[in-house]
Amino acid sequence: MAAAPKISAEPSYRDIDRSVLRVMEPAGLAYWAWIGFCFTLVAIAAALWARQIYTGLGVTGLRQPVMWAIYITNFVFWVGIAHSGTLISAILFLFRTKWRTAVYRAAETMTIFAVATAGLFPLIHLGRVWFFYWLLPYPNERSLQPDFRSPLVWDAFAVSTYLTISALFWTMGLIPDIANAREAASGWRKKFYTVLAMGWQGTDRQWRHYSMAYLLMAGLATPLVLSVHSVVSWDFAMAINPGWHSTIFAPYFVAGAIFSGVAMVITLLIPMRRLLGIEDLLTEWHFDNLAKVVLLTSLVVSYAYITEAFMTWYAGDPIEQMTFHMRYFGPWGWMYWVMVLCNCVMPLLLFSPRIRVNLRALWIVTIFVNIGMWFERFVIIAGSLTANFEPSQWAGYRPSITEIMITVGSFAWFVGLFSLFSRFLPIISMTELKEGIVWLRKALKMDRATAA
Amino acid sequence: MSTVAIISSFADDTQCANAIEQLRAAQVGDFNTFSPIPSHRIERAIGRSKSPVRWIVLAGGILGVLAGLAITIGTTYEWRLNAGGKPLLSWPPFIVICFELMVLLGGIFGFLGVMMLSGVPTTEMEPGYDGRFGEDRFGIVVRCDEAEAARIELVLKESGAEEVVREGA
Repeated sequence: MAAAPKISAEPSYRDIDRSVLRVMEPAGLAYWAWIGFCFTLVAIAAALWARQIYTGLGVTGLRQPVMWAIYITNFVFWVGIAHSGTLISAILFLFRTKWRTAVYRAAETMTIFAVATAGLFPLIHLGRVWFFYWLLPYPNERSLQPDFRSPLVWDAFAVSTYLTISALFWTMGLIPDIANAREAASGWRKKFYTVLAMGWQGTDRQWRHYSMAYLLMAGLATPLVLSVHSVVSWDFAMAINPGWHSTIFAPYFVAGAIFSGVAMVITLLIPMRRLLGIEDLLTEWHFDNLAKVVLLTSLVVSYAYITEAFMTWYAGDPIEQMTFHMRYFGPWGWMYWVMVLCNCVMPLLLFSPRIRVNLRALWIVTIFVNIGMWFERFVIIAGSLTANFEPSQWAGYRPSITEIMITVGSFAWFVGLFSLFSRFLPIISMTELKEGIVWLRKALKMDRATAA
Repeated sequence: MSTVAIISSFADDTQCANAIEQLRAAQVGDFNTFSPIPSHRIERAIGRSKSPVRWIVLAGGILGVLAGLAITIGTTYEWRLNAGGKPLLSWPPFIVICFELMVLLGGIFGFLGVMMLSGVPTTEMEPGYDGRFGEDRFGIVVRCDEAEAARIELVLKESGAEEVVREGA
């Protein structure tokens, strides 16, 4: 797709609409080939899952004592990815952060698809997936109910609440923009957007209720996002397993989630702005600020790694110390050090303002962060299970092709859904960009000055 | 006497808010505004109270907490599971469920509340609605008797309206 017409350094509301709506025009063959490629990988993963359901979990590499491995790693990874979307859309909204307006829709969309991907993994992990509803309380003839003291039950509530609230918050933000798209579209697209816009007209009555509800939804989503990854971390911390049973898990996981999520936002946005020709709406100023969030959370995560090691040493529990010794220097020790390199060392480059606005360099750093954060979850989850209390139980783990392909399929599913969204619905919030147009103008001026 | 709709458009919300103030000063109350963004200036000029959607969200949140307590306490007594000799009603973990349901129902109520109060979904467009008002123009549509139309048009023009059009309502 050709680059969008350059907008002036003093863009008007109309320029914003034109740039965003242009992305939603019918796509070419290359786009559909990409979508086809993504969903072919998804189909392969789905076929392998069907085989797993038919045959049983024996087709995976899960063996005692490592009964949680790649699937649960993927679950935690994708829930973590989701968090930055809510951070940007809700928390930064409450802080009235100026640079969020251009990036929040893409980040929030990422949240929805990341939670939708994450939600699949507890199901994929189940031996008898058709009994997934056993985690929910429902009337049954034997009065058999889930145990609300179990973090797995909390997880079912937290993740489903997160998906619902994120989807509602996202939908609310989309409605005025879709109404804009409705006015610009023709043919079947006009009908499609007319239905989705639900008759939105931007009257004072509508905006009055909308603004209040949006503020309150942001207020509800803010503690929710912190609670969800805390609950996910308690899936581990509530167990007495060495390597898991730690009080720092909730803040540690939340910081890691935001770290990985913002890195993923950058990973997606850098190619997207070029492919969709929206360089004028997503400027270096936006990436500079996103990179600062990555840097800050990287430092928090690094601090958590150090604290974790210190607590293990200071507490003096030999089994815990053994687990950590295995984590650092055992057969999978290389994974830990790759993780340290990716999550603690590489992001230090972002202290340099030049690297923060060098989008190629920034993209590479965020790819490292994505890899590092996946490794972090794997090291904590599967790594801690290999060396348990009883040395006689110790065993390794080797992922099967089913697990690997389902993981690849989950990435394809996420990227495919995001790609589909980016061409059919407004990937940048026109309404909010117009509200903060002063800041977009400043960012563009800075960009042009740097380029000159 | 027949009723007419006077449709006026403004380049920004300051002018639009100014026109609203002038209309109110001229004792004109039956008007509707359209804008591409939510504007505090317009909201202040119209002078309405805060949206009642906040009470709906509060009701949803309270209902969520109560639902959380009912589910956790109710099911615990229905399925009496002795876990490690702990009291049957070991409530601290229930806070998680109550919190999640508070957010869930608060959010759902908020969404449904805003839909209900702002009259969406609807298939009927308000008189005078124009696609420009979603893009970059701020609109005021006044419904009035034909006899009063000339006076109101003058108020709108003097407040800086770019365009004033009269339509039969």
